[in-house]
Amino acid sequence: MKRRRTFNSSLLTTILSAVGAIIIGLFIGYLLLLITKPDRAWWGLQRILTIGFSDPNKFAKVLYQAMPLICTGLSVAFAFKTGLFNIGATGQYTVGTFFGLFAGIQWQLPWYLALIAAMIGGAIWGAIPGICKALFNVNEVITSIMFNWIAVFAVNMAFLNFPMLVVDFWGKSSIGDRTPVLADANASAVLPKLGLDELMNSSLVNIGIFLAIIVAVIIWVLLQKTTFGYEIKACGYNRDASQYAGINAKRNIIYSFMISGALAGLGGGLYYLSGTGQYTFLKVLLPAGFNGIPVALLANSHPIGVIVSALFISYIQVGGDALQPRFVRENIDIIIGVIIYVSAFALVLKLWFEKLFVKRSMSAVSLRDDDAELPPPDEPKGKDGDNV
Amino acid sequence: MIIGDILSATLIFAVPLMLVALGGMFSERSGVVNIALEGIMIVGALAASLFLRYVDDLGIGKDHAQLYMLAAVGIAGIVGILYSQLLAFASIKLKSNQVISGTALNMLAPALAVVVTWNIQGTAQTTILIPNWVRIAPESLGIATDNIFTTFLFKSLFLTTPIAFVILILSIVFLYYTKTGLRLRACGEHPQAADSVGVNVYRMRYLGVGISGFLAGIGGLAYTLAAGSGFTSTVAGYGFLALAVMIFGNWKPVNILLASFFFAFFRIISFYSNSISFLPKFDTLVSGEYIYLIMPYLVTMIVLVLTSKRSRAPKAEGIPYDKGRR
Amino acid sequence: MSEYIIEMVGIRKVFPGVIANDNITLQLKKGEIHALLGENGAGKSTLMGVLFGMYQPEAGEIRKDGKPVRIHNPNDANNLGIGMVHQHFKLVEVFSVMDNIMLGAEDTHLGILQKNKVRDKVLRLSEKYKLKVDLDAVIEDISVGMQQRVEILKMLYRDNDILIFDEPTAVLTPQEIEELMQTMRNFANEGKSILFITHKLNEIMAVADRCTVLRKGKYIGTVDIKDASADSLAEMMVGRKVNFKVDKKPCNPKDTILRVNNLSLTTAASGKHKLHNVSFNVRAGEIVGIAGIEGNGQSELVYVLTGMLKPTSGTITFGEHDITKYSIRERNDMGIAHIPEDRHRYGLVLDYNLAENLILKSYYTSQFNQHGFLRFLEMETHAQKLIEGFDIRAGEGGDTPARSMSGGNQQKAIIAREVSLSPKLLIAVQPTRGLDVGAIEYIQKQLIAARDAGRAVLLVSLELEEIMNVSDRILVMYEGKIVAEVEGEHAVRQELGLYMAGATPNDMSQEVV
Repeated sequence: MKRRRTFNSSLLTTILSAVGAIIIGLFIGYLLLLITKPDRAWWGLQRILTIGFSDPNKFAKVLYQAMPLICTGLSVAFAFKTGLFNIGATGQYTVGTFFGLFAGIQWQLPWYLALIAAMIGGAIWGAIPGICKALFNVNEVITSIMFNWIAVFAVNMAFLNFPMLVVDFWGKSSIGDRTPVLADANASAVLPKLGLDELMNSSLVNIGIFLAIIVAVIIWVLLQKTTFGYEIKACGYNRDASQYAGINAKRNIIYSFMISGALAGLGGGLYYLSGTGQYTFLKVLLPAGFNGIPVALLANSHPIGVIVSALFISYIQVGGDALQPRFVRENIDIIIGVIIYVSAFALVLKLWFEKLFVKRSMSAVSLRDDDAELPPPDEPKGKDGDNV
Repeated sequence: MIIGDILSATLIFAVPLMLVALGGMFSERSGVVNIALEGIMIVGALAASLFLRYVDDLGIGKDHAQLYMLAAVGIAGIVGILYSQLLAFASIKLKSNQVISGTALNMLAPALAVVVTWNIQGTAQTTILIPNWVRIAPESLGIATDNIFTTFLFKSLFLTTPIAFVILILSIVFLYYTKTGLRLRACGEHPQAADSVGVNVYRMRYLGVGISGFLAGIGGLAYTLAAGSGFTSTVAGYGFLALAVMIFGNWKPVNILLASFFFAFFRIISFYSNSISFLPKFDTLVSGEYIYLIMPYLVTMIVLVLTSKRSRAPKAEGIPYDKGRR
Repeated sequence: MSEYIIEMVGIRKVFPGVIANDNITLQLKKGEIHALLGENGAGKSTLMGVLFGMYQPEAGEIRKDGKPVRIHNPNDANNLGIGMVHQHFKLVEVFSVMDNIMLGAEDTHLGILQKNKVRDKVLRLSEKYKLKVDLDAVIEDISVGMQQRVEILKMLYRDNDILIFDEPTAVLTPQEIEELMQTMRNFANEGKSILFITHKLNEIMAVADRCTVLRKGKYIGTVDIKDASADSLAEMMVGRKVNFKVDKKPCNPKDTILRVNNLSLTTAASGKHKLHNVSFNVRAGEIVGIAGIEGNGQSELVYVLTGMLKPTSGTITFGEHDITKYSIRERNDMGIAHIPEDRHRYGLVLDYNLAENLILKSYYTSQFNQHGFLRFLEMETHAQKLIEGFDIRAGEGGDTPARSMSGGNQQKAIIAREVSLSPKLLIAVQPTRGLDVGAIEYIQKQLIAARDAGRAVLLVSLELEEIMNVSDRILVMYEGKIVAEVEGEHAVRQELGLYMAGATPNDMSQEVV
């Protein structure tokens, strides 16, 4: 007996559950707008949904902000694919920023080398929770969170200890609380615009978005087409079977975190080497890292899907900014938060949709009917898959 | 004097850590990983701050200050319970990934707080100021803060501090001496065993998460009071620090108490690093005080690495319980 | 008033695809010790599960003292005075003995535990039944024997009169087994009624009054022990069926490929030997079958051979090399193939498709890996070849998600993969578990084909019939040891049954462990 389950139905249910989460999120957001300012609620919703396309300027902003989101989204997605949760993306993003700006300003390197430096920085920072987990069995979620904070403080201090990295050095101002305008410090470190800025009438956009997309494709190739990708996914899907196949799980955990870290670091590098923003020395965790989570969840951790969902999240964020001053922009954060919450049980949504499309349902966990398996002896299983 | 001030500040910052860590402990002891403590703190603090603000606007606050404070504590706790049920529902009923749903709630909370604050206080007023009368002035108790001991205990005294210690004692009694406490612990270690003797694992877990919501909500209020500048829609990572305290405290109440003080102390040191003569100032570095900011987190990590062997998490935490599978 | 305290009449319990209990009747007299005997899959645990309220039967009735009762959950069973000691203890490891005993039946005053009252009651019970326990010790620190006594005390504390023991001696040392037997006799003398599930004939002969035998879900019969013998019981257990032998050429063994020498595995916690000085050889061109009831060390033996578990002592030699310390991949590369007993947990990555699963052990070789990239064309060809060669039914060929394949085809895929590695040694554990007759036949043919191609084959199976059909040589494992070695042609079913149950054909009248 076989069941036809075509490739399409799996993709379809993934998209449906993502769309479902988005609709619920938008709906809750709309309710919120309704509660706070009923007469302007509909206007607010429309603005969120359409502002991004309203003129090239706004669209450029969407692309610009999607850039780091694609990277952090890839970071989280890649980790998910290998069975891990990278909640440390924001710390890796920050360290990547530092390495990138350091390379660009202190060492006066061109942008492409600075970007590589950013990735290295992120990889190093990402390796830490990996090593702590693999060697000391310390929970990676706690380690990542601790190092998120350590990153913020360490990076701030590091910036302040290299005068060239503070805006005052370049003579334009004396506030001392942020990095310099990149064009002043090292024009060759700024990501090239290739005429896009004239095309879209915006100083925001540059080749960064294309770099991010290219990296997404590379990650997709890595996961789908390489032996390494095969191995690392096997570890994430079924730790026991990979052990059976002779795969070294511990080593793969560290590699996985390093790659995730490098991706998040790249995000920081792309954003700040665009030359538009300056890194301010605040004692807060940058949201770009956390926003990678909804991006990854909506895309079901598919690298190409990440591009789409990053654009979407960026799109509604631009919409949210445009709501001001009538509505506070945090309304968008609420929408995003609801989307993540719903995505958390998206698997349930997905299975529910599958029941509608596939004649007889197939629970992901249970064995099939004609298996005729006897009820297995119930043995309490250790959490991390103890040996056998 | 400085020592007294430091101790006082340590106490005031240890209290929220302890409360929230205890909350996390109850949740994890019942088998549910509660990453959302940070979010619950914010939501609880938001509700309580709004309430205090409201009472103050009505002008009636000063008359029965501590009574209103007690009500505020209750509100913080109840709102915390309600918010935590979002996590409970997703994790227990829908068996979703507990870390992801927790993260979602953490992202929702500050956003929610800002939106609500804006709408109630008006545009750009993102801070809810806590009225002064909530603080218990030592003079009102007839105590002069003239020595280390009295400074330590009474310099910054809020109702939440004694409440926290009462809660600590109640927690110990509940966890180890009552029937429900025993059953709750069983659910986090070996839910099948508990189920086989008739314990309702699902209900116990809802209880565990509910308690964590209650304590984290109050902890959020305690943090806001300690921070001193009103409610600003953030608790600066205290929710996560509390998780680390819980792990370091090996999921036991008394250890958690000690761990809270340990970490609060490191936090406070960073504020006073310039005033204390024997502490290194790291003058060679610009902004050397950042080292002190890093210290609590770094120390936490070192401790976690060193004690990972000894660490004994509730065995069944994070694994959704499925009664159907035998 | 019925002479039986418990009656299970016409019980039918069905799980997806298998009738675990098919019209079974069991009658328990008050004050008797009643054994429930059968091989794996006979339905014993299921039947007791029904009695204890863990499963609901599709048909049949349960009566207590002649009156019909409904048992929906363990609480209902408890209220009727039925208690159960499970094969895998349901104890909270970090709790003390006392906490475990009182969990769920706590004595409280205003919610506060009355620990002293509990202590007194437990101590009284402990003394009365001579069940020595340390009330304050933590479960994970105490011996398995004491853990079992805790499970027993749990029942006594709840005033249970009908006590069910599920394979209680599986985890005990001989000394502890003796103590348990005595405890059971004490209970019976008290008027408590005991049901105990076992596959060990000597224990039944030693302590039971009557014995009910099940086979493949069906009720075979109930005998008075004084009228029975180990022999007669073994025959009821395994039956006298005519063997449906698979056609095979005579065995032509060549060099010894695998040499196992004094392999032992002791688990630190219980101190019990999972494997005890196991030694045997497997030669190229022969099939060695390991027979035995589940839980006697077969699984552990395979995990040690494949590298998934480390032995406490002993050596494994493969060809010329001592591979005792080799990693799993090194053993794979040397030519050891493994068809695992849990195909979903170890054998396949269900989220991968068929083609990806077929290269699970060879993806890194130059055949499928070029400069780090997977060679998809090769993968496809390989998958096609195996699908045709092994008749794997997969709707979309190599692209079929493994999850959506039927159990039989999943197993064929695993076998295809392992056999096509051209291994020197093929280890197959429960290869036909849960499959239909056609698939079973096919797979057995594959094993024989492998053997004819000159491979060494080690077959581990809980199905005695399968072992007998396919093996050239049969080893029987019992309690971690090899207790018998028989040539395939000379194997006699009842004899093997006796070995599997811990007795030997020569010592029918004695209790030999």
